[in-house]
This record gives sequence, C-alpha cells and structure tokens, in this order.
Amino acid sequence: MTTNISFSLNGDEISYEVKDHWTLLHLLREEMGMIGTKEGCGNGECGACTVIVDKLAINSCLYLAIEVDGKTIETIEGLASTDGILHPLQKSFVENGGIQCGFCSPGMIMSSKALLDENPSANHEEIKHALAGNICRCTGYVQIFESVEAVKNMGGQNE
Amino acid sequence: MKQFKYLSPTTVEEAISYYGQHSETAKFVAGGTDVIVKLKEGWMEPDYLISLKKIEEMGELHKNDATKELSIGATVTHATLEKSLMIQNEYPIIYDAVSNIGSLQVRNVGTIGGNLINAVPSADGAIPLIALDGVALLQGPDGERSADVKNLFIEPYKTILKPGEILKKITIPPQAPHTGSAYTKFGRRAAMELPLIGIGVLLTLADDLETCTKARICLGVAAPTPMRAFDSEKFLVGKKITEETLIEAGNIAADESQVRDSIRGKAWHRKEMIRVYIKRMGLKCISIIKHNS
Amino acid sequence: MSNNKSQFSAVGKRIPKLDAAQKAMGRAEYIQDIKLPEMLYGRILYSKFANANIVKIDTSKAIALPGVHAVLTGEDVPEKMKMGFIKDNPPLKKGRVSCFRDEVAAVAAISPEIAKKALDLIEIEYEELEGIFDPEKAMEKDSPLVHEHLKSNVLKMPWNIHYGDVEKAEKESAFVVEDRFTTTWVTHCCLGTSGAVALFDASENLTIYTNTQIPSLAQKDFLEALKSMGLENKRVRVIKPIIGGGFGSKLDTYAYEHIAILLAHKCRKPVKIVFDRAEEFKATSTRQPTVIYIKQGCDKTGKLTFRDMRMVLDNGGHTSWGATTPSVMLMPISSLYTVENVKYNAKCVYTNNTYSQAMRGYGNPQATFAIESSMDILAEKAGINRIEFRKINKNHSGDETPQGLKITTCGLAECIEAVEKELKFDGKNEKGIGTGIASLIHVGGGARIYGSDGCGAMLKMDDYGKVDIFTGGTDMGQGLDNITAQIVAEELGLLVEDINVVHSDTDICPWDVGAHASRSTFVAGNAALGAAKKVKKKIQAFASKLFDVPADQVELKGKLVLVPGDPEKSMAIGKLLRKAHFSAGGTMLMAEHFYDPDNQNMGKELKGNMSMTYSFGAHGAKVKVDEETGKIEVLEYVAAHDVGRAINPLLLEGQVYGGVVMGLGYALSEEVVHKNGENMNANFRDYKLFTAKDAVKIKAPIIETDDKDGPFGAKGIGEPGCVPTAPAIANAIYDAVGVRIFDLPITPEKVLAALKEKKSATTKI
Repeated sequence: MTTNISFSLNGDEISYEVKDHWTLLHLLREEMGMIGTKEGCGNGECGACTVIVDKLAINSCLYLAIEVDGKTIETIEGLASTDGILHPLQKSFVENGGIQCGFCSPGMIMSSKALLDENPSANHEEIKHALAGNICRCTGYVQIFESVEAVKNMGGQNE
Repeated sequence: MKQFKYLSPTTVEEAISYYGQHSETAKFVAGGTDVIVKLKEGWMEPDYLISLKKIEEMGELHKNDATKELSIGATVTHATLEKSLMIQNEYPIIYDAVSNIGSLQVRNVGTIGGNLINAVPSADGAIPLIALDGVALLQGPDGERSADVKNLFIEPYKTILKPGEILKKITIPPQAPHTGSAYTKFGRRAAMELPLIGIGVLLTLADDLETCTKARICLGVAAPTPMRAFDSEKFLVGKKITEETLIEAGNIAADESQVRDSIRGKAWHRKEMIRVYIKRMGLKCISIIKHNS
Repeated sequence: MSNNKSQFSAVGKRIPKLDAAQKAMGRAEYIQDIKLPEMLYGRILYSKFANANIVKIDTSKAIALPGVHAVLTGEDVPEKMKMGFIKDNPPLKKGRVSCFRDEVAAVAAISPEIAKKALDLIEIEYEELEGIFDPEKAMEKDSPLVHEHLKSNVLKMPWNIHYGDVEKAEKESAFVVEDRFTTTWVTHCCLGTSGAVALFDASENLTIYTNTQIPSLAQKDFLEALKSMGLENKRVRVIKPIIGGGFGSKLDTYAYEHIAILLAHKCRKPVKIVFDRAEEFKATSTRQPTVIYIKQGCDKTGKLTFRDMRMVLDNGGHTSWGATTPSVMLMPISSLYTVENVKYNAKCVYTNNTYSQAMRGYGNPQATFAIESSMDILAEKAGINRIEFRKINKNHSGDETPQGLKITTCGLAECIEAVEKELKFDGKNEKGIGTGIASLIHVGGGARIYGSDGCGAMLKMDDYGKVDIFTGGTDMGQGLDNITAQIVAEELGLLVEDINVVHSDTDICPWDVGAHASRSTFVAGNAALGAAKKVKKKIQAFASKLFDVPADQVELKGKLVLVPGDPEKSMAIGKLLRKAHFSAGGTMLMAEHFYDPDNQNMGKELKGNMSMTYSFGAHGAKVKVDEETGKIEVLEYVAAHDVGRAINPLLLEGQVYGGVVMGLGYALSEEVVHKNGENMNANFRDYKLFTAKDAVKIKAPIIETDDKDGPFGAKGIGEPGCVPTAPAIANAIYDAVGVRIFDLPITPEKVLAALKEKKSATTKI
C-alpha cells in the first residue's frame, strides 16, 4: 500500500514513496523531519498544521500525503530566502509581537501568506476571516493582525 | 489509522467499478475533511479508499446561460463556491452558508457533496440547496437516478445513497425574478462554529414587490435531518411580507421544529432563534430583492 | 531610580522577543519535536467511570502485542510515589478510580500506533459506583464519601478568616447587598500539548525533558519519585524545550511525567509521552470552579464597611492546587479597595469531577468577578455613580490592608481615570449599549507562597563584551528572556543582542521557585540585575585602576567603559575585559546573585505581606446587547495597568491583549461541559475559546508608578490582564439592558432568559 509520488516542496522537486494512509502532516514531520509544521489537534480545528498546497492554505492533518502528487507545497521552512533573509511576513511577526510561545506561528504565518499572495490589500475583515481557522491562545490576536497589516502596507510580498 | 489502498479513478464509471470489485471494504472520499477524521477515530476502517477528486465532471461549477440552470459538481469545494462572484451575486444563500463552514483551510478542501453525504444535523451545505429546490444526481451500479436534496437525508449520518452510489452533482432550477435568499447560523462565537441552529430563507415576490409567491424556510439542527417548515412557508405565500408576517412565520416554524436540548444549547433557545432569524433573514431577502430590482 | 525614560538605552524599548525568529522559521524545538535514539512512545489509559472500584486488570494481551516494551498498572507504582500537596494522588490508580481522568494503566511501545493499539487490548473490570457531582450536596452530612477512608468530603483547610468585626459593621451599614455567583471549569488550551521525555543513564540518573514552569521544584519532585523507586542519591536533570504555552498548566509535576519516568526505568530506554488534544482537554487540570456567596455594605457616603464572602470549591477526585486558590482569593477579598472588616470562609469539597490546579490568576478572576459585580450592585443601591464609588474606596500608596498587604506604589486611581478617558459612564448610551468597569489588585513583587520566593542568576562575560546570563526563571512565550536581557544590557551599557539568556537546564541554571504569580519580571529580573550590578562593580574597580579615577566615576554606556566628560578615559568594553584577564594576576568577570524578595509567608490568620509590591489595574468594556438573541458584542475594551515600569512595552502589550482575550472567553463563551463527571467537549469545535474572528479592539494604557523595589521600577503583568474581564462585561451588560448574569460564562442563552424574565416581571406590574 505504498505509492510513489512527486511534488515540489519549497522549490525543491521531491520524489517519495508514501504509504497511502499517511497524512501530509505525518509525511512532513515524521518521515521528512520537517518539524516546523505543528500538530495542535489532529482534527482540522486549530490550524497549527497549516501549509500551502497549490496556493491554498490547508490543514495538513486532514490531507492525505498521496494527494500532493504533482502539486506545489509551501511550508514554513521554505519562507526565508536562500540567503537566509526572513520573508517579510516572518520579519513582521517577529517585530510586531505576533509571536509569543510560537506554537501557532508557523500555521498562522502560512495562512497569512496564502491570504496576501492572493489578496495583497486584504482589509481587516478579510484578514480576520482568513485567520479564523488559526487558533492562538497567547496573543489575543491583536499583534498578529498588526503583523499582517504591516506587511500589507508594504505593498504585497511577491518580490 | 488503519492502512488502506488509495484508488484514484478518473470517471464515475471507473469509481463505481472499483466499488464493485471491493464492495464494503471500500469507501468513497471527496475532500477528505470528514472522512479522514473518521479514519483517525476508527469509525471507518476500509481496505480501499476511492478518491473522487480526479473525476472532472464532478468538479465543475457551471450556470447554463440558456436554461439558467446551475450545476454544482459534488466535488466542488466550499471555497470555490465562496469565491465565485456568480454565487455571491445570484445565490447569496449558498454564499452565506459555505463562507462560514469550518475554517478557510477546511473550505479549501471540503466539498459540497462530501458535506451532504456526511449528513450532519447542522447541514450548513444542505440548507441552501434545499431552499433552492436543488436536485441531486446520483449514479451507482444500478444506473442513474435523481432525488430532491430535501429527500436525501434519512437520519443523522445516513442518506438514501445505496452502497456503491455516488452523488455526482446538484442542479438548481432557474430562479424566478424577484427572488432573494439568505442563510445564517447562530452560535456562541463568530467562527469555527457548529451551529445551535441554522436558518435559510428564500422568498419570491410578485411584481408588486410586496406579495409573496414562493417561500422556502429551511432549518438545520432543528430536527434530526435538515427540514423545511412547510406550514410556515404556506402561511407566507399570498401574503404581503412585513415584519409582522415574518414574525408569525417564525412562530409557526418554531412550533414545527423538533429542537432538542444538547451540550450546544437548549431547545427553548433554539426556538427563540428560529423566530428571530426567520424574521431577520426574511427582511434580508426583501432588501436583496429590492436592491436587484 | 530614574524617572526619565529617555535616559534608558534598553529598558523601555520595544524589543522583539529574542527567540521569535527561530519560532518564525519553524526551527524552535518543542516537546513534540524531540526525538532521541531508541526512544519509545508511551500512552496512558484513563478510567471509564467517574467513581468505581477496579476489580481486575488483565494486561496480558497488551504485553503480548509485538512492539510493546512495557505495560504498567497501579500495582507497579511504588507506594510512596504520590502527587499533590497532600500526597493523595498516585500517578496510576490502584483499587479505586475517583474521576474520569484517573490514570489506570500505561504502555510503552516502539510506535505511537502500537502504543494506542496496546491500550485497547488492556482489559479492565470495573464495579461502577454512584458518582457525586455537586459539591454543595457533597458537603452535607449524609452524603456518600468520595474517599471512604476520610470522614468527610470536606478538606481540612485553613480558609477561615475574620478581620475586624463584620457583624458589627453590617449592623452599622446604610446599604447592604447580598448575592450568589458561580464560575465554572475552563481550561488553558495551550496550543502545544503536554508531554515529557524521560531517560536514565547507565548509573540510573534521570534526565527528563518536560514543559515545566517549575524546573527546580520539579527536580525536587522527581528526586522524591526516584527515592520511592529505591533510587537514592541520584542526579535529576530537568531540561525545558521551547514551551508551547503555560498559563499555569505547568506549575506542578504530573502523572504523565511520573509515568514516563516509570516506563523509562522499566524499559531502560527513553520514553516519550505527548498528549493528543482530547487528552489535553480531559486529563489536564482546569481553573478552580466556585460557588460564591458575597455580602458587602457601605455607609451613607459610600465608604465600604464590610465584605463577607463564603465559597464552596469543587475539589474533584483528588486534591491539587485548586484547594489553595483561596490563599490568593484572600488578596482581592481583603485588599481590593479599602475595607476594614473582612470575613472569608472557603470549603473545598471532594466530588467525582475533575480536579483543578493553577490557571492564570489563580483564584483572582473568580473572586474579582463576585466582588466587582457586587460593587456595582452596591453602588446602585446606595445611589452613587459606580466610578465615584470606586474612587471613594480606592487603595492608596502607604495603605496596609486587613490582610497585612503593604501597598507601596499604587496606580489604581490613574488606571480608573484611563478607563474613564476612553469610555463614557454617564448612562447616556444608545439603546442596548452599555459600559462597565472593574478593577484588580494582584501580586506584583513576587508571592511568598512557599518557604522561598527566590530566584538565582549567574552572569558570565567573555572577552568581547558578550554576556551569558543563566537564570532560574522560565520563559513560556511571555518574554522572560527579553526582560532579563534588557535589564542586564541596561545595567552594563550593552546592546540586547549582546546578551544570551540561558534558562533551559537545571544542570546549568540556578534555582528558582517557579514562573507563577507574575513574578518573573520582578524576581528573576532583580536576580539578573543583582548579578549585573556585581559584575559592573568589578568592571568599575578594574577601570578605576586603569583610568586612575574613583570607581564610582566610571560609567558603562554604549558598549564603552568611560569617565563622562573625559574623552581620554574611554575604552571599548571588550578591550577592557581582555586586559582584565589576559595579564598577570588576571581576573574573570562572573557574578551570581540570589534574590529573595523581602515579603512574608502568610502567618496566623493568613496575615502577611506576601508580595513586595502590588499591581493594580482597571478594565472598561463597552458592549452591545442584541436583545432578541442575547448575543453580546464587545465594541471597545480598555485595559489599564499599573506596571511600575514597562521594561518592554511591546511584550507587555502582548501579555495584556492575550490576558484580556483569555478573560473575555472566560466571561462570555468558555466552559468545560461535564455530564456526570465526564468531559463532553474535549475539542476546539465545542470548547469555545475566541478565534481570530471573535477578536476585539483593545486599548492598553500603561501606567508607570516606578516601584522602588522592582528592577528599574517594574512590577508583574502576566496575570492581571485576565483578572477583571468578567465583571467588566457583566457590569456593562447591566448598564446596557438592566439584567445581571451571576453565572459564568455569560452566554446568549443566559442573557436572553434574563431579559425575558425581566420583561415578564415588568409586564406583571
């Protein structure tokens, strides 16, 4: 019950033999050692496991690994540029207090990226709507919104 | 979760044939947001998972310009419906419902068909389709058949689908002019909410823009399956729609409902919300109609 | 002590959290991410009943499952291995279970899946007994006993005080109000779930990775655990990974840690236990629920005359920190506002419900809900404006309260004014809109609840002006690392980037009693400051010889050691440090400091100044009530706090915003729903904490009273943000629509029911 799949992961072309029943989260964390994506609930109810598949933010705990065949995946590990410079969203979350314990942060940042990639001038309501599936217990969301708004005002981020 | 073999047919016939080969050891899956939870919990332990994602005809969202019929493929995601300007403008009740299911992450993957088949009492996806007189097209080993969406549900988590049958698409008949529709759900917080009650209202007015010629009052979590408040609808037809008539319609619908106490809320509160929101959604329908005229 | 903020180079600056970049890149290692060679996975089996005898446990099938290395039951736990401050709670239960979350068996296996399967193969025969779920009923004389060896369900606790003469004061009062309030179970919902990895070396010394807020006390508990296992004289090393949320949930040592230790010892391999989300909800402790009876009175002028409070606390199946929350509740009861005559009695009663421990505020949110709601009720009865009423009774600098709390700096008046500035309290709001205010007092200068309130710090400087500071403190995302670095940088004239804060390992770090009671800034901060001051003296002494000036003329600023006004006498700090030790008779630059605040344990009648200073605050809420649905919309929220000095305003605001939103969830939507002792909403869908879409606009004015005992004047802020939210909301709802809700959470259903009752009462007239 294994299948060979190929996909793009943070710009790298990957070939992998996956077991059919693996979730994408399991593939990333347990098989590929990419611990940046977190498991907060396993049920699609907290967003800590959010990654981007073909430009859409999804809960990797509820996504079968086998279904990323032929797709493009972005995880938190792929955001910083190859010369180590933080992505504007990462930098903004750091500078604006958007990160406290940090457990929700990878998922929160990926949801924010998916939003701003599609809608660089998202307004406050649209930001709230897009992040509604990412739970944070530490920040009260205020500085998270400020972090996203600050990048928005930089005029998008696909540099 | 238990290991399974993942199959990825590209046509409905192929999918049905896979099921024929493996019968109860196989389960269909669309988006996966419901199925994977069940697999993890052990409520489902199939040897084969037949994905419907690669079947093109099931993923199409299309309005026929000539017949004005809307066709929604069963594997169209909630997010696709949410982002469609056509849906937002012409079928606001669908937009209202799907844009608040779960979270954006869930909506990007979860499908309208999967939501229907899951047959949860909250039925965010079902209510608008029932209000629009949607018809489900099914295909199985015995061939094709259709059923009104309102008749799809037998009891919580059980539909009329026979083993091996697939929900292919939902068609919405052409909507009459001067039609407005709206949906809301009531819960304790603003998102990620399984509702206390879901209310969908569709009203068609006559050319005088006052008299109701058609009414659909659909309730979720008000009965074991999504229900239409038929008496309430009958009451409204032929009447001038005002706040008073809507309040009365709400009272009738509340009486028709079969709300219960649960950990999410009490029956009396749900009845109150039926009254309040039928009025509010009804008024929203009227303002949509007036705005479009 | 400097009052001019612009004189500071690091203190008062909005410096991003030191580990935020690591976290933003996904490189921070949490307990979930720890993988060690040969590691096994442990899982715990919980009771199927609230109250039952364990008749028989058959683990044979589980043991036989390939991949399983160990299966343990209560029989395998040493007799003396007990948790809880009265040591009544073994990590695996034997003979009897007293609540659903009781642990009855555990396994270790080569994969999480096999461990889960093994649990299903354990066969347990229970004899179900009738459960007791209402603490007020469980108090009654003829109630069945939760623990049959005890004579009563009521704990013997010292929560019975009387300051002054409450009966006399009541007789002399012009106005008296009496009400009953209840608060229910809520839970921390840390995004990172609980977990530990335990391993023994060849000499049976223990290393345990665990999310703990009390590394030193945990070390002590685990040493006792080892002793009970017959392992005497061993080393215990506690290592903290990055912690995914605390809020008080890591203030003890837990069954899962003890079980990991037992399994690791049995298997002689590392064993990792990490909770899944359902387990996190069901098997971690909640905030202490309360039933509160409160009576308050005032004279004609509005001066409070007495406060009489009585509480019944559901102690659950086992005794834990929840039973000590009255010690903290006494603080607002005796000292929020000035009131001379105070009576307080709290009964902790065993039931077959879950048991509670520490959660942000540790009793203060519960007590303040009752007190501040009652203040509004009393103000109305006395015909006095509710803001005025609070001003009449406000605390002052220099007060000593009936409990013996010595109020030093007190910004309560300024906090109330800050709320008044933002929101109107003139009763002239639109229909359905109202405003409410509620204040808080909390410990701000440590809290002497144990024999020690101390924290140690060790500071080492290298040849280049870089500092390593080893602190006993704990960062769990709130920013203790930043505070420490900023304080040290300020004192030594360095940049924050020059400071490396190490707090993760008991082998390296000095002792601390724990990250509780909002004490980290004050106590760990003072410890770090003390060490920095000592090193500064050494540098000044060396520079004094070098520059030939008195030591006190030497300043450290901008990475330089210099004599102000004399440009010749200036040297880069790195150069000076190299000169200091790279010569004959050289010295190293290191220092240590143990800071134990000059506060007092509670003595007779629970009197004593338990903190060196107190934090004050006032919150204001503006709400809109939908009178048809009962839904509450928070339009505006102001949370003003007297923090002494804001060492880092960016992180401080983060603590306030986070505390307020947690507090709003407490007020409006959160509850653990229990049915006959069973947790019915162990998931994020049905446990209603605030999502991003529920988020509220919050203003957080900072009041700085520059406390002489705090490091650079600072007091604590970790908890105050969540303390007065519920009464602020309840008071605002009353202002809006004239109904008061006495039971948390204030759900739309309760509001609607109250509105209907009010309407039918008025129509009857």
